[in-house]
Amino acid sequence: MGATVNPELIDTLEKFGLADASVCFNCGNCTAVCSLSSEDTPFPRKVIRYLQLGLEDRLIQSPEPWLCYYCGDCSETCPRLANPGEVMMGLRRYLTSAYDWTGISRLFYTSKPFEVLSILAIAALVGLGFYFYHGPMLTDRVALNVFAPNRVIEVLDLVMLAVLSFLLLSNAWRLFKGVMGDPGQYPVLDISDRQQPLNRSVRGVPLRLYLAEAREFIVHFLTQKRFGSCGTASQRKQWLVHFLIMTGYSTVFLLVVVGIRWFQRDEFYPLWHPVRLLGYYATFAILYGTTYAIMGRLKKSKTVYENSHSTDWAFLILLWLTTFSGIVIHLTRWLEMPLATYYVYVIHLMIAVPMLVLEVPFAKWTHQLYRPLVLYLVKVKQRAMQYNQ
Amino acid sequence: MSTNQEKKATGEQKKVGIYICHCGGNISDHVDVEKLAENVKDLDGVAVVHTNTFMCSDPGQELIQNDIRDGKVNRVVVASCAPSLHELTFRGAIKRAGMNPYLYEHANIREQVSWVHHGDQATEKATGLVAGAVAKALRLQPLEPIRVEARRHATVIGAGVAGLRAACDLACRGLEVALIEKSPFIGGRTASLGRLVPTGEQAEEVITQIAAKAMANDKVTIYSCTEVVGFEGFVGNFRLTLKRKPPEEPYSAAEPQKIRMDHLEKGEFLPAAGIFPGDVPDKEQEIFLETGAIVMATGFRSYVPGEGEYGYLHSDKVITLAELVELIARYPDRRGRFLQVKGKPVRRMAFIHCVGSRQIPGIHEPDQDGRLNEYCSRTCCAATLQAAVQIRSSFPETQIFDFYRDIRTYGRGQEEVYREASRQRVTFFRFEPEDPPRVQKSSGGKFPLLVSVKDTLTFGEQIDVPVDLVVLATGMEPTPIKELVEMMKLPVGADGFLQEVHPKLRPVEVANTGILLAGTCQAPMDVGEACNAAQAAAAKTTAMLARGYVELDPFVARVDPERCKGTGLCREACPIEGAIELKERQVDGKTVVQAQITPALCTGCGICVAVCPSRALDINGWTLEQYEAMVDAIVAA
Repeated sequence: MGATVNPELIDTLEKFGLADASVCFNCGNCTAVCSLSSEDTPFPRKVIRYLQLGLEDRLIQSPEPWLCYYCGDCSETCPRLANPGEVMMGLRRYLTSAYDWTGISRLFYTSKPFEVLSILAIAALVGLGFYFYHGPMLTDRVALNVFAPNRVIEVLDLVMLAVLSFLLLSNAWRLFKGVMGDPGQYPVLDISDRQQPLNRSVRGVPLRLYLAEAREFIVHFLTQKRFGSCGTASQRKQWLVHFLIMTGYSTVFLLVVVGIRWFQRDEFYPLWHPVRLLGYYATFAILYGTTYAIMGRLKKSKTVYENSHSTDWAFLILLWLTTFSGIVIHLTRWLEMPLATYYVYVIHLMIAVPMLVLEVPFAKWTHQLYRPLVLYLVKVKQRAMQYNQ
Repeated sequence: MSTNQEKKATGEQKKVGIYICHCGGNISDHVDVEKLAENVKDLDGVAVVHTNTFMCSDPGQELIQNDIRDGKVNRVVVASCAPSLHELTFRGAIKRAGMNPYLYEHANIREQVSWVHHGDQATEKATGLVAGAVAKALRLQPLEPIRVEARRHATVIGAGVAGLRAACDLACRGLEVALIEKSPFIGGRTASLGRLVPTGEQAEEVITQIAAKAMANDKVTIYSCTEVVGFEGFVGNFRLTLKRKPPEEPYSAAEPQKIRMDHLEKGEFLPAAGIFPGDVPDKEQEIFLETGAIVMATGFRSYVPGEGEYGYLHSDKVITLAELVELIARYPDRRGRFLQVKGKPVRRMAFIHCVGSRQIPGIHEPDQDGRLNEYCSRTCCAATLQAAVQIRSSFPETQIFDFYRDIRTYGRGQEEVYREASRQRVTFFRFEPEDPPRVQKSSGGKFPLLVSVKDTLTFGEQIDVPVDLVVLATGMEPTPIKELVEMMKLPVGADGFLQEVHPKLRPVEVANTGILLAGTCQAPMDVGEACNAAQAAAAKTTAMLARGYVELDPFVARVDPERCKGTGLCREACPIEGAIELKERQVDGKTVVQAQITPALCTGCGICVAVCPSRALDINGWTLEQYEAMVDAIVAA
């Protein structure tokens, strides 16, 4: 019994931005020119073929979409103008929704009304929360920690962190199962070996190997070094922009979610204070990165910016506005404008919270975990296949 | 560079000029050309020896022409490449210089010497060949081409699109045309087609238009319900016997209802049958025709899959592309959710390419005659994709799966059809000939048939495709015309199609002078290409017959009346009917029977020369005396 085709899949995937995959005639030029494709994990042709046949299981087991950093060489080379780079991008959106067990991701990607309404609804919840539960609004001085005490925000932050982490990790577990594939495909250890605790099998692979390759995950998580190896100068620029957004975002995420009691203060730190410096770095990095990306998408300056899904815009705009409103809060505090500070603070959170709630477990931010995870698992798989030999 | 050696020719003697070609280095790299010139300059009768880098170039030809005009030579030998390449070039040059072009002999020192021998041996062999050529040249006689009166009348056999196209063109150039068609309708297979690649025109419109032109032309006489039963004669003067007889039964089109001829009007189009030319005979009659040239336009038939080939005949849900195309041609403007076939909606359908084409010995089953169609039928890829595009745009919910070995959309506008099919979400699979898709009846499930394939596009994985309908893209086979082939002695290629002399040099002529090819009797072609070939054949025919006479090469048999004893052995041995006949003749008041040659029919094969016990026969330009002299010269060299 072979795999059975499902021609409907490609139709349903159109909403993920997969318009051109059907015109691919499988020549393989894309795979030949790709500087990241390898013999073990060839792409983009292979997954595009699965997509054409509608082989959903194969797609969910494919690590390849996450190995692509979208330099656009393939799309420029494609003789059929099938836009393989964009197809890979669409596949990442599709896979994100396929890993997500709640179904929210699929709705977010495939329904514009849902996308807009979910953002507005969460923003409204945040707004209403403040409307009913905010602290006293002192006007003789800027007292943000009276209006919204950082201890309370910290608790709410940690609750949010827990919920989002649970969602993201449970989705990542589904990715993990998919990419590791059938546990039966790996070599089986001898019985005596199996009894050692470090050789306990996880999806068919000894735990020892997961630990041995852990460094791989951390390196890719922190550096995205494969991105840089795409080659061209324009691609290195792209890596830098991406690196700025990623580090800026991560920094501010840590400051806001874990370090809010040091970050949200009513007094100004001295200029050299690490928290203040980190805040400035994050602000600059995100603002530069997102502005660059927004301009690129508006001008369609590169292959990677030619096609924009509505969620790409939502992500960039929310991130840009969050940062911008953060700067405004900083200014109003500095100018000692208490009421303005409180209002902008609420607006700031009405933008930031929907972004985090929707993007972290269900949309674009998932790739911060998924990409290094897949790279790591590919390495583990390779090791596992050679194990015992 | 050249060595110029002049000799005193004795009296009004034969003066041979030898012209040796370097052919760039092709010859001179292996044959010592200067030594060769030295070796042959003192042979009997040789007046001049020249060498040149390229004798076929203008300066090379002028060298020869100047020697002729100056009276230095009256026989020419060129030692160069194969005569098939440049013999005519040099004959033409000689003729333009005012000498009889048949006082020329060609020595092949490239293919027969420099490309196969090296060093001294090469020069030695070249010397022998040139010496032989000189010996022959000394014995050449001036010849004149054979001139045959030609009727300004052409016959086209087959009234499909190629036949109609050729008939129209011939008539427009002022020739009388007889258009012979076996069936009661004209239009041929084109009448069964739908939208044509690449323009998307309805075949019906195209064929009706061409047929109307042919019917409206006074010079075209259409003989429907007619077959050629007798053939004799030669170019310019063929004599054909036709048999015209009433069609058997009321003629039935492919569809159930039988059509009665008496209800049809002239020019009316009947789907899958063609255009009604106006009448049908009510009794059998024989017709005699005299014609100058014959254009073969006998066309093709669709390959019929064997029982069980991809499930054919085992399931009524397996049909051929020809059947499908007929079906969608009938209703070109129909729209709907699903394509309907045999009253049932088709949710998913599969096309399988290369059915009955590109067959491979050891993999495919030969037909009853033991033949395999090893050729590509060329038209099925584009026709399949065109049908797929048409179905996808008219019946958007019918899904299409296409199983191919290679997609060969080779022609103008065809790649666009392929692209459009992809764009319309046709899903493609590629298989290797040794692993063709298997078509099985499904046990249960939503679809009656299951197509399984080892798909090379998916890295050799087995893929299952459940479908409602399987369409086999069947290829072309030549229309069976065994009787005509035997009667007219037509050359047939290994693929069963009629064969031209040369695909590039003489693409629409067969070896039998005066017989031309138009359309798919020659090879698989689409409608456009068939029209192309038909127009070429018509142009060639017109050029041949327009002057009212035809010139043929004079290399034919001749009889020496002094020696012929009238044994008749030559006539028995002659492969061409009518080329040699025994005629009575008065010699010194006595009646003797002697052989007589009809030069227009003789092909100059020389069999008669070999069988004649009294050496009464010879081939002009290739006489026994010339051969003997050549052998002697080669041995002596």
